Amino acid sequence: MTATPKTAASPRNTRNTGPGRLLIAVYAVFAISATARAGYQILTKFSEAPLAYVLSALAALVYVVATVSLARPGRTWFRVSVIAVLVELVGVIVVGALSVFDAVQFPHETVWSLFGRGYAFIPLILPVLGLVWLYRRRPSAPAA
Amino acid sequence: MDAYFYIILGVGLLSTVTCAVAGILKKAPNDVTILSVGAVELSLLVYLVGSIVRVIAGEQIAGEAWEFWGYLVTALMLPVAAVYWSILERTRWSNFVLAAVGVTALVMAARMNQIWY
Repeated sequence: MTATPKTAASPRNTRNTGPGRLLIAVYAVFAISATARAGYQILTKFSEAPLAYVLSALAALVYVVATVSLARPGRTWFRVSVIAVLVELVGVIVVGALSVFDAVQFPHETVWSLFGRGYAFIPLILPVLGLVWLYRRRPSAPAA
Repeated sequence: MDAYFYIILGVGLLSTVTCAVAGILKKAPNDVTILSVGAVELSLLVYLVGSIVRVIAGEQIAGEAWEFWGYLVTALMLPVAAVYWSILERTRWSNFVLAAVGVTALVMAARMNQIWY
């Protein structure tokens, strides 16, 4: 994932084309739903489970950053996308595992609870597809 | 689950299958797939009008009212956004974007039903 080539930015240095458009659309839906959910939780019942709801807000932020960065061209946005998608992958695995093994600390629902089971496990699949797509469209990739 | 949900369930699944099949057949968005998403929007508008009428008639929403309306307004924007996003680049992949609308709408309609009752 850390290719460091010297080629100049090309018209190909985009992620918002072909299958990338579907990926961005799904990320956008998660950005909207996670933001709405986190906002609702924090505004109405934050004191019940501050940790879970802070994680909810973090998840929302990650989805927003991933959506925007994937839609933008250039190397900097590519790096932002890689970081956002990696944080998402780590987040869904760590929060997913914690919610399974420590249900006392994590009794409240977040997008990433139980590896995203409440969302048909899409939160678990999405970062993997995101990394595959970013790798295939990495700025250094040979023009195919 | 009420009739509004089942309308969106039927129309949404039909739209999703139509658009996904078109995508698998490597077709770009066409009248059929875009109109199927339009049908999803129409069924959501029916839900909107029906819900307004029921509230005016004095029916109470069991859950948080603003959460219900938030879901409904967001759901209404999805088909429009998806069609816009899909006609900017007319490839088979845009049909998969359109396919995502139907299932998303039916999941949201299920949640709206839960909030209402």
